[in-house]
Amino acid sequence: MSAFKRRTTAKQPPLPAGTRTCPGSTATIITSTGIPSLDDILGGGLPLSCSLLVLAPDAHSAYGELVVKYFAAQGLACGQRVCVVDPRAETFLSECMWMPGSSAAASVQPGNPATPSPSTAAEDEEDEKASEHDTKIKIAWRYEQMKQFQTTVPAGQATDDYCRTFDLTSRMPDSVIRSARSDGRFLDVSPEENLSAEGPASSCRRVIHRLSEILSQNDTDTDTSLATRVCIPALGSYEWGDLSPQEICYFLHSLRALLRRHPRACASVCLPPHLCQESFGGPGWVQKLGWLTDASITLAAFSSNPSLSAMFSSHHGLVHIHSLPAPHTLLPPSDKFSTLRGLTSSGENNLAFKCMRKRLIFETLHLDVEGGVGERRTTPSASAIALEPGGGHAHDHAHEPSTGGKSSVAAVQVQLEQVEISAAPPPPQQPAVDIPPSTKPAESSFKKAKVKKKVAFTSERPDLYDF
Amino acid sequence: MFPPSGLPLPGEILLITDELLAPADFLLHRQVATHLKASKVSKCVLISISEDIGRWKAVAQRSNINSTQYLDSGSLSFIDAMPIASTAIDGESSVPLKELFQKISATLIQLSSESGIDLLVVLDDIASLEWVGIPAADVVRFARALCALCRKLKASLVLRHHVTTPGEPDDIFKHLFQLCTYHLDVFPLSTGRSGTVSGQVALHCGPATLAPAHRLVPRSAAVHYRLSDTGSVFFDRGTGSGVL
Repeated sequence: MSAFKRRTTAKQPPLPAGTRTCPGSTATIITSTGIPSLDDILGGGLPLSCSLLVLAPDAHSAYGELVVKYFAAQGLACGQRVCVVDPRAETFLSECMWMPGSSAAASVQPGNPATPSPSTAAEDEEDEKASEHDTKIKIAWRYEQMKQFQTTVPAGQATDDYCRTFDLTSRMPDSVIRSARSDGRFLDVSPEENLSAEGPASSCRRVIHRLSEILSQNDTDTDTSLATRVCIPALGSYEWGDLSPQEICYFLHSLRALLRRHPRACASVCLPPHLCQESFGGPGWVQKLGWLTDASITLAAFSSNPSLSAMFSSHHGLVHIHSLPAPHTLLPPSDKFSTLRGLTSSGENNLAFKCMRKRLIFETLHLDVEGGVGERRTTPSASAIALEPGGGHAHDHAHEPSTGGKSSVAAVQVQLEQVEISAAPPPPQQPAVDIPPSTKPAESSFKKAKVKKKVAFTSERPDLYDF
Repeated sequence: MFPPSGLPLPGEILLITDELLAPADFLLHRQVATHLKASKVSKCVLISISEDIGRWKAVAQRSNINSTQYLDSGSLSFIDAMPIASTAIDGESSVPLKELFQKISATLIQLSSESGIDLLVVLDDIASLEWVGIPAADVVRFARALCALCRKLKASLVLRHHVTTPGEPDDIFKHLFQLCTYHLDVFPLSTGRSGTVSGQVALHCGPATLAPAHRLVPRSAAVHYRLSDTGSVFFDRGTGSGVL
C-alpha cells in the first residue's frame, strides 16, 4: 500500500462575477476590458488590483475615452460594480455602448443566459465582405488547407459571460443605469466636489480619499463578492483644476497603492491629450507614467498626420505598449499568451487599432505589398483585370496567327465586363498566369459588383468620426 | 558568473538602474535570495515605495523562496514606505523624508544590535519619491543619509533607480552615482523587445572606488539575460543558443 496520498486541492473561494483566473498564474484573477483584442494584448484581460492607463495624445479624437467606455459597459454588463470618476458620470454612462438587439436588457443579470440575437448577413462589417471573394480564387494546392490570414483575435459569442459583444451603434439603456444605481453597483465621484474647508485642497487627494472610502465600504460588504471597476475617463481635465505632473504621478501612485490594498478592484484611466505630451510632463514623461501604472498603452491616432493615414488607410492609429500587468510574476502573462503581440513566434508585432462602425478592434499592422492599397492582396489590382471569357485576349494570337491585322504582338483588349458574358466554356489551353481565372460568368459578375480599391494615391479616407 | 557574488559587500553601496523596457526586479529578487540563503544569521530589510509585499511574495514563491517563513522568523523585514512618505508631500515639514528615515534607522539599529549579523538593505525605488513631488534635493539628502547609516552599521545597501531619459542622466542619478561603490546598469536591447533576450546588464564602478574587486563589464560588452518564470539566465553576447 503506497504511502502516497493524493493532495486534495483546498476549496477555492468562488470568483467574482465576470472574472476568471489567468492561465499563466493561478493567483491572478483577470477581468475583461470589453474589447477582446485589448484583452489579448493584456494577456487575457486586466488583472484585478491593477490599473490600466490609456494615453491618447491626439487632440482631435477620443479613442482613449472610448476604451474607458467599453470598460464601464463591460462592468455593468457582467454585473460588476462600476465607480465612475467624472463630473457628469450619468451622462458618461448614457453615452456608453451596449449590446445589440433585444437580448440586451435581459442579459444584464449575471447568470441569466440571454438568447442570442439572430445574426443577419446585412449587419456584417463592410471590410469583412472584401475578403469573401478571396476564397473563390484558385490558390496553389498546398495552401488550400491554411486558414485565412488573421490580423486580430476573433470576438467571442454574444452570450459569453466573460466578454460581451458590444455594438457602438447602440447606447446603454437608461433602465440599466437606473437599476445599477439602485443596486448600488453604480457609484460616482466628482473631482470638483468642493467639500468643507477641512477636506484636502487638491482634487487628486479628494478623489483618492473618496475612492478609499468607497473601496473599504465595498470590502466590508461581504454578502456579495463583487469586483469593482474604477473608470476615470479624463484624469486632469479642467474640472480637476490645474494639475502639475507631480500631482498626476501622485494620483496614479496612490491609486495603484489603493488597488493593492483592495485587491478586488481594478481601474482604467485615460489622460486627456494635452497631458500626454512631454511638453507638459517633461522628458521621459511617458516612461514615468508606465512605471506608475501596471498597464499602459498609447493610442496614437493618425488624424493629425495625413501621410500616415494615407499609408495605413485601413487603420486609424498606432498602438504603443509601454508596460503590461504582471501582478504576481516577473514576466507579464501577455508575453506568453498574447497572439496579437506574437512574442512567442518571432519578434514583436506592430499593432494598430481601427474604429469600425460597430466596434473598436486592435490588429497587427503589416506593411503593404506595394504601398497604396490597404488590404492584403491576393488578387491582382482592379486596373489589371481586363478580360472576360472567350473574348479577344493576348493568347488568341497563338491560335490565330493569320490575324495579321493587329501589329502589336501581345495585344490586350480591355472590354467592359458586363458587355459580353459568354456561356461557352473557354478553350482549355488557356493558362492562367497573369490572368485572373474569371472564366465563370457568375464570378465575373460578382467581381464587377465589388468595387476594388484602386492603386491610386487617394485612398478612401476612413470616417473618423463615425462612432 | 554574472552577477558576481559578494556584490555588494558589507559597507558597500550598489546602485541598480533600469528602464521601463528592462526592469530590474529580477536582480533585486536574486540579491535577496542569495543573501538570505547564504547563512542563518543573514538578515534583510526591504523598503518598498512602489509595490506591496504581495507581489514580492508571489514572485519569490516561484523561485522557491518562502518569504512568509523569513518574515515570521525576522530574517526579512518589510517597510511600506509610501504612507509615510505621502505626508511628506504636503510640504509641511522642512525635512520631508525625516519620518521615513527615522523609521528605517530604528529598524536597522535594532537589527544590527545583535553581533555577527550580515545585513542587506534594499530600497525600491528612489525615483518615485521625486516623481510624486518630493523635491530632488530632499531625496538626495535622504539617500545620502541612508548611505551613511549603512556604512556605519556595516550593512550592504542596494538602491534602485528608474531611468526615464536614457541618454541624459537626471540630477538624482548623478548624485546617486557619486555615492555608490558599484553601478549595475540594466537596459534593453537597442533593437527593441525580443523573445529570447530580455535585456542586457553592465557593471560599472563608482567614482570613489579605486580598485574594483569584480570584473567590470562596459555597456558595449554587456551581458545578456533572459527572464523566465522562475528567475533569470545570464549569457554572453551571441552565446544565447548555447545556453537557452
